[in-house]
Amino acid sequence: MIKITNLEKVYRTDEVETVALNKLTLEVKEGEFVAVMGPSGCGKSTLLNIVGLLDDPDSGSFMFNGIEVAKFNERKRADLRKRNIGFVFQSFNLIDELTVFENVELPLIYTGVKAADRKKRVEEVLDKMQIMHRRNHYPQQLSGGQQQRVAVARAVVNKPKLILADEPTGNLDSSNGNEVMQLLTDLNEQGTTIVMVTHSEHDARYSHRIIRMLDGQTVMENIMV
Amino acid sequence: MIFNYLKIAVRNLLKYKFISFNNLFGLTVGLACCLLILTYIIHELSYEKYHDKADRIYRVTRLFKNGETGVTSLHLNTVSPPFGPLLVNDFKEIEKLTRTLQNNTVPFRYEDKIFNELNSYWADSNFFHFFKVDVVKGNPSRALTDPYSVMLEESIARKYFGTADPVDKVIRMNNQFDFKVTGTYKAFPTNTHFHPELMLSFSTLRDTAIYGEERLRTNWGNNSFFTYAMLTPGYDAKKLEAQFPAFIDRHMPKGSHFKPSKTTELFLQRLTDIHLRSHLDSEAEQNGDIKRVYIFSAIALFILLIACINYMNLSTARSALRAREIGVRKVVGAERKSIILQFLTESVFVCWLAIILAFVTTWLVIPLLNQISGASLSIDVLLRWQVMVPLIIIPFIVGILSGLYPAIFMSSFQPIMVLKGLFRAGGGNISFRKVLVTAQFAISIILIVSTAVVFKQMRFMQNKELGFDREHIVTLPYTSALNDQYDAFRTALLQESALKDVGRSSRIPTGRLLDAMGSQMKNGDTLAPANVDIKYVAADHDFTSTYGIKMVAGRPFSRDFSLDTSAFLINESAASILGFKRPEDAVGKDFGYGNRRGKLIGVFHDFHFESLHQKIVPLVLLVPRSANNFGNISVKIAGSNLTGALAHIEKTWHKFLPEVPYQYTFMDDNFTRLYEAEQREKNIFTIFAFIAIFIACLGLLGLSAFTISQRVKEIGIRKVLGADVSTIVTLLSKDFMKLVIISAIIAFPVAWWAMNSWLQDFAYRISIPWWIFLLAGIVAALIALATISFQAVRAALANPVKSLRTE
Repeated sequence: MIKITNLEKVYRTDEVETVALNKLTLEVKEGEFVAVMGPSGCGKSTLLNIVGLLDDPDSGSFMFNGIEVAKFNERKRADLRKRNIGFVFQSFNLIDELTVFENVELPLIYTGVKAADRKKRVEEVLDKMQIMHRRNHYPQQLSGGQQQRVAVARAVVNKPKLILADEPTGNLDSSNGNEVMQLLTDLNEQGTTIVMVTHSEHDARYSHRIIRMLDGQTVMENIMV
Repeated sequence: MIFNYLKIAVRNLLKYKFISFNNLFGLTVGLACCLLILTYIIHELSYEKYHDKADRIYRVTRLFKNGETGVTSLHLNTVSPPFGPLLVNDFKEIEKLTRTLQNNTVPFRYEDKIFNELNSYWADSNFFHFFKVDVVKGNPSRALTDPYSVMLEESIARKYFGTADPVDKVIRMNNQFDFKVTGTYKAFPTNTHFHPELMLSFSTLRDTAIYGEERLRTNWGNNSFFTYAMLTPGYDAKKLEAQFPAFIDRHMPKGSHFKPSKTTELFLQRLTDIHLRSHLDSEAEQNGDIKRVYIFSAIALFILLIACINYMNLSTARSALRAREIGVRKVVGAERKSIILQFLTESVFVCWLAIILAFVTTWLVIPLLNQISGASLSIDVLLRWQVMVPLIIIPFIVGILSGLYPAIFMSSFQPIMVLKGLFRAGGGNISFRKVLVTAQFAISIILIVSTAVVFKQMRFMQNKELGFDREHIVTLPYTSALNDQYDAFRTALLQESALKDVGRSSRIPTGRLLDAMGSQMKNGDTLAPANVDIKYVAADHDFTSTYGIKMVAGRPFSRDFSLDTSAFLINESAASILGFKRPEDAVGKDFGYGNRRGKLIGVFHDFHFESLHQKIVPLVLLVPRSANNFGNISVKIAGSNLTGALAHIEKTWHKFLPEVPYQYTFMDDNFTRLYEAEQREKNIFTIFAFIAIFIACLGLLGLSAFTISQRVKEIGIRKVLGADVSTIVTLLSKDFMKLVIISAIIAFPVAWWAMNSWLQDFAYRISIPWWIFLLAGIVAALIALATISFQAVRAALANPVKSLRTE
């Protein structure tokens, strides 16, 4: 599904150049659950941004489902992104002004799904995440665990092939954290590919494979069995 | 999608109440100002347009000029009576023509009701087919045909006849002439240049007791007839004007030196131009001014601009708070386009709310504004599709105009940066917003300077030494009924010690000087015409003393000298234009004026007979042969017992003139009326300048809040390192002060240019002092400082530990 070859990304300010990704090569197969680990500043987030089509690389190749997307413009990236990729963040990133239902509905609006279909699909996914009873609440009225469940619901409502999770349990206590990890595992078992950035060895153990990064490169891979 | 945008717009408005209120309030006030000004402008531009053939109607005007030098001495919007019939006769391009003549203020009487009527006009029988008048009773085709017919405006009819049917009733003019009421009409609308309340049939003027047929045909010297011509469709007025010189030479009597067309010209003035573009020497009523329309349009645009800038600033300031939402939207699939669309939807929505609120505000404020400005505006002028359609579109334009920049700015956020909390507004964006704030302050400073200049000029006019004593002078209309008993009347008045002096004259100060005849100076043994333009006022022996006019040489008129009835007094300007080096040289010289010969017995000080819009012109005072030439009585009162004095005047008036309604005005009030337009301008300038500055402050508040929020960490570190509150406030304010200085530099030349042009309308004007600019700059700086300090002090007082920990 993801095939990255010699990917480079350099951030430049007036005087300093920071190499975020240094000739990185990586492959993720469909249906895999991959955890990316490494110290702060090693390039994990940059990798996630590029894989999530939120940022473009300076050079190298990025094949997504067999299509070269490294040189896509913003519009094309947005289009590919909204149909194929769901995101889960550490800080949930729900929109405070929208209710649970409306937050989950948002991706469907941007992909142009009709209102009646939207309602059906949002309700389905809320049901699955067991937060249907909270559908008309605003994010501030929910616990952290519930918020992250809403965020996961939003990530999967469009039935993406790939979910990118950026430290999904970072803001949660251990029991809520485990619940979210279980959700991701379930999704993976149903066929969704998952790439997760994490600092937590515990969370990483849910994955099939752990990729360890340092200074913009992969330095080690652990296959979990 | 749009529904989703609106939903979040509403929730955002409710969530950030302070910023939303600022935003909405600023836009509402800005738009309300624009609507108010629009109401005014539409009203001003609507004059005369309601007449069916307004585009084909012209008013004939007459210009008088010096045959030798070609210099214009007078341009009247009225002409002499023979012109009308001759014009129709000579030019087939004139489809029809109608004339009116303003009647003097005369009393009318019905049974025991007597009123002085100020707005009665003689009007041609075709008047009602020429102009659009809403006739209520009577036959418009016949109503003014017969001599001694009168049409009454409804309110006037009610005044005399109450609820009874006025038709066929008889009212008596000046206690002499009976007029039969032939009908009534609705009051003329406000948007026309004249408002006749009684219309007397023009045919009555043929009666020699009133004017006389012969004089109507031959009196080229009485230029007081309004003459309106309707041209055939599509005919160019300029082509007709080109034929006027030949027409004049064909009909007017030959002068001694020049062809008539060398000394006089006729012009056609568009009916629809009268209100805004005609400033001739004898308008029927006070006209508007196209310049004022331009000034107010500019102010409206300025205020709208400030409000838009304000909206941009506050929206972008709020963007930091919404960065996360934008990030999320992008992550879940929003393209930049749809983010821009979302923010434009929001700003258009806010503008919609604002225009609705502005409409309500306008509706509420118009009565108040009418009160302050003396205007008669109505929101009705806005309730037409020609206006409503653009008004419905305005929120889109203003919304897009003011929302585009925030939309583009916010849609450019990098989602991952904002979601990870690494978002910082870039430097470029801040400099653009600095430009916006600078523009706002430049506009505000221009308005402050303008207001100050208007104030100063008004003060100058009110306090200028006019050269005569205008205080405690009461004026009364002179009536011919006094001719035979005037001396007794005057003596009776002066019996009350509070009355100091009583004088008569054809015109009184604060009026115009429009009467002129030819002057003659001694050349060898005979009097020869002098090529000068000198106006005259017919005055009696007591006029100069009543007004405290000072003599520079010679003596005033005196009853002790019987020859004074053929003597002249001139002002310094006249003495100088007649070639006398010193005023004393004029005294005792032979002089001729019109067909009168006599001696120059004195020269009086140049004083401001007319308003300060006019230059002091050469003037001669003469004692008229007939008291009928007098139009006014002026009474000088000692300041101590005003009430008693007024009561005595009224009592005396009723004793001598039981048939004539008593009315008086204070010279001071006349004087105030001269500058009413400027007074209004001053009030409106002040209000709008205040509003503009206020909205600009809202914007500044937004920008300073934003900038300071960007520097919270810096402030925290500085405080930890030992900076005190005043150092930090200075640090934060310094940047904004720079902006104010830049805006001042931009504003000063613009303001100077604008106000200098405004002052050109005054013959006597102030020169704009440098300190007004300094003052405006300081005022703007202080206001800005106060606004910023509010935020800066709060930021400086905040606990640094808190701001550093959040990093």
